[in-house]
Amino acid sequence: MMVELGHYALVLALATSLLQAALPSIGAFRRDVGLMASGTSAAYATFILVALSFAALTHAHVTSDFSVENVWANSHSAIPLIYKFSGVWGNHEGSMLLWMLILTFFSALVAFFGGNLPDTLKAHVLSIQALIATAFALFVLLTSNPFARLVPAPGEGQDLNPVLQDIGLAIHPPLLYLGYVGFSVCFSFAVAALIEGRLDAAWARWVRPWTLAAWSFLTAGIAMGSYWAYYELGWGGWWFWDPVENASFMPWLAGTALLHSALVMEKREALKIWTVLLALMTFSLSLLGTFLVRSGVLTSVHAFATDPRRGIFILVILILFIGGALTLFAIRAARLKAGGLFAPISREGALVFNNLILTTAAATVLTGTLYPLALEALTGDKISVGPPFFNMTFGLLMLPLLFAVPFGPLLAWKRGDVLAAGQRLFAAVAFGLLVGAGVAYAQDGGPVLALLGIALGAYMIGGAVTDLVLRSGLGKVPLGTAWRRLSGLPRSSFGTALAHAGVGVTVIGIVAVTAFQSEHILAMTPGQSTEAGGYALRFDGVKAAQGPNYTEERGHFTISRAGIVVADVWSARRLYTARRMPTTEAGILTFGMSQLYVSLGDDQPNGGVVVRIWWKPLILCIWGGTILMMLGGAVSLSDRRLRIGAPSRARKPVRGLPEAAE
Amino acid sequence: MLFWIIVAVMTATVSALLLLPLLRAGGPSTVAGQHDAEVYRDQLEELKLDARNGLIAPEEAELARAEIARRLLAASATADKHRVPNGASSAGRANRLAQAAVIVVLPVVGLCLYLTTGSPELPDAPLAARLADPGDDIELLIAQAEKQLAANPEDGAGYDVLAPIYYRSGRFDDAISAFSNAIRLNGPSPQRLGGYAESLIARSGGLVAAEARKALEQSLALQPRDPRARFYLALGLEQDGKAVEALTAFREIVKTSPAGAPWLPLVNEHIAALAPADAAPAAGEAKLGGPDAAAIANAEAMSTDDRRQMIEGMVSSLAAKLKDDPANLEGWQRIIRSYAVLGETVKAEGALREGLAAFPRSGDGGRQLLALAAELGIDTGRAP
Repeated sequence: MMVELGHYALVLALATSLLQAALPSIGAFRRDVGLMASGTSAAYATFILVALSFAALTHAHVTSDFSVENVWANSHSAIPLIYKFSGVWGNHEGSMLLWMLILTFFSALVAFFGGNLPDTLKAHVLSIQALIATAFALFVLLTSNPFARLVPAPGEGQDLNPVLQDIGLAIHPPLLYLGYVGFSVCFSFAVAALIEGRLDAAWARWVRPWTLAAWSFLTAGIAMGSYWAYYELGWGGWWFWDPVENASFMPWLAGTALLHSALVMEKREALKIWTVLLALMTFSLSLLGTFLVRSGVLTSVHAFATDPRRGIFILVILILFIGGALTLFAIRAARLKAGGLFAPISREGALVFNNLILTTAAATVLTGTLYPLALEALTGDKISVGPPFFNMTFGLLMLPLLFAVPFGPLLAWKRGDVLAAGQRLFAAVAFGLLVGAGVAYAQDGGPVLALLGIALGAYMIGGAVTDLVLRSGLGKVPLGTAWRRLSGLPRSSFGTALAHAGVGVTVIGIVAVTAFQSEHILAMTPGQSTEAGGYALRFDGVKAAQGPNYTEERGHFTISRAGIVVADVWSARRLYTARRMPTTEAGILTFGMSQLYVSLGDDQPNGGVVVRIWWKPLILCIWGGTILMMLGGAVSLSDRRLRIGAPSRARKPVRGLPEAAE
Repeated sequence: MLFWIIVAVMTATVSALLLLPLLRAGGPSTVAGQHDAEVYRDQLEELKLDARNGLIAPEEAELARAEIARRLLAASATADKHRVPNGASSAGRANRLAQAAVIVVLPVVGLCLYLTTGSPELPDAPLAARLADPGDDIELLIAQAEKQLAANPEDGAGYDVLAPIYYRSGRFDDAISAFSNAIRLNGPSPQRLGGYAESLIARSGGLVAAEARKALEQSLALQPRDPRARFYLALGLEQDGKAVEALTAFREIVKTSPAGAPWLPLVNEHIAALAPADAAPAAGEAKLGGPDAAAIANAEAMSTDDRRQMIEGMVSSLAAKLKDDPANLEGWQRIIRSYAVLGETVKAEGALREGLAAFPRSGDGGRQLLALAAELGIDTGRAP
């Protein structure tokens, strides 16, 4: 009964969404308070219903109810409890339900925190959110119903895809979806603004925290996915420019641009139309990303063939929302007043530069991702746009941006002085070059480009610190004053510094790994030793072991440095019994920010085993940097200035400028 | 019943939640511009704070203050302009329509969609509850047996149990591998060989192919009177078009079976279908007496003698049909060609004569027959 109640809750959520899409919007046009207010209740109701539905599906997974097709296809009675939970969203149907859950959660948040929004804006935003929810609910119910039943119920499930039986899967998709779906709020705000034909100052203040939140989650989600691929797939790579990864990276690039342009809009009322367009594009890319991953917009013409309804449904959703929003933009954008002027050299100018590069980068990734797919769909030719394309184009695009990052916060609004900013960054540049030289010394030379890359990363960190130092007046004013000033700085300043420093840390990690990593592939027999990254690894042999739902062969390695044993590690080849599917469980040892990565390959006829060993210097900087970025987002989000008071209802007309004119 | 009560309560609760704000309608809405003013006032506060903390240069602060003040003025003006009395119209028709929509849409959309996609009669089936009370839950028995076999893959008895269950639940591939494992581990027996053959036959959609036949013959060698093996072998003969042999085989089964054996009705059906085969031809393709695709495929695999036998069988049945219905030009052409191929010139000449009796020399048909005869080197002189 639980399962069927969950199913009914989902259907009822669809019905509620329909009402939520219609009533508040009609209310906004008629200025009818009652109708607009019903949107708020509907948003809560939809969220509760989808949550019930999700809980019912989770219950079915946890209790191994194989009469539910989704449970049968993606679970097994023997898998550990945590994977029974994560198996709920480790499949197409369940993940679409999770998507809906997060979408309606955000709608409920808008309903809850939206008291300080103009009534009509809030009503329109809730309407658009409900429209998206309706489309997804229909998609789930008609083409990917997680509550489809099986009669008779099978006795055992087909197991969760072994690659997904990992703690990473439990965290990665929810984070990613929080990011993707968070941008839906920005999208709804943009569409609402276009419908109303005006952009309030409140609009900009609202869009920024949502963008920040979504962006932070997306950053975390992408980083988590990258780390998961790194340790689970056993290739030692952390980014493959694979369509699935690009799908999440594109909204991130567009979202980063949105984050910065929303800042300009909030402070200076400039770039209004551009910000609206970016908000539309970011969520459009999120939608594309959501679907590119599963049935694929183009990836698999084959997936369309197996279930054409799904593919067509997806195309219709994409056309409806992306096409509809852009059409609305084309018609109404002219009605939005463009605001504030600024000189090319100014904080605004720097942010425009940032936006130009980020959107170009997003377009580059989009082209590189879709072009081979489109070509294959149209002509049947298979071409591969591999990492070289992306590394060349994307890397070159990013270089000037990375160099410019520290300048942004140092430039004044409206009219800035590059030279002055450059002088103030002198210390940061010097710090960067010093670090580069230090690395050159430690590594005994190395590619010049790599050294410059490390210097660039260090310079960005230095730049972020410089900003804080200058703002606090450290060195110019007494220490106590400086400290008071520093602690009085708005949180968003710290957020900016943290995030920009995070980019620098990630750059250092990427450059170090790319330039200085070493790879050793060799056949090892028990007792044999080899060298990697200054450590000696002794292969002690392989033994069989048994997990709850897999069997494995684990190889043991002892690691020593200068003759002293420092660590040992297991690296395993697993065979998941239910699906007869092998996976690798790499043995990973962390030394500071660097890692030793050991992966077992095939057996050799002479009794040896192929072993792949990588020394990955400073690789943890890549993800450490993203954690800093995410923290920056969170700190910014906690800024008091993002919380604005609501005008009390029916108050006296606002007149004049009470204190401001003093 | 409880399910429907909960469904009703859920629907009613959501309806009430949505109706509440509609019923409470009234009160003024906020006005465009009012919120903007609030934001700008906030920004001025921040500016003051920043200036006091020395975070912004005094002249810059002054400029920013002027800009924000300008915006605040404009926003306040908008707010005044838009201040129209509202709330009066809100209690009107739109509100009642909205209430009606809430009351209608939720149950109608909810029930229509649920009844088409849901299965309200199906209870939950959590594994623990099923294991506690397995009853005749075949799927569960299979899963348990599979688990035991996974732990101990050389357990022949397990395969013996599992194989027929697989067969009965239509998982023929699994049945085939289970039967062959049972044969490998426990040795051949009529039960296992027969089950193996039966699964193969079921998988190929009822065709008795070589692999199945081999197993059946092996089974017969172990137990010559096994009715199942004999039945499938007879069926194989029938499928090969060896009607006579098949008929004999089926009759043999009847003869050796005890009276009232459960398989007799099925066997008799086959006998009834085979026995009058050459007396009452069916319509369509059978009218020409052409072999079907399967028979031709079989013919290719046969030895020369067998093939000859098959062709002769076909020819004689064709001859019988032509006797009944001579107005079949194609049939005459085929039989003449067949006799010629078999080297029975006399019979070919006879067939030509008979054919020409139905299709006179002067007609189109007659001329075609004569041309064929000339091509095959049959003497056309003796024909009328």
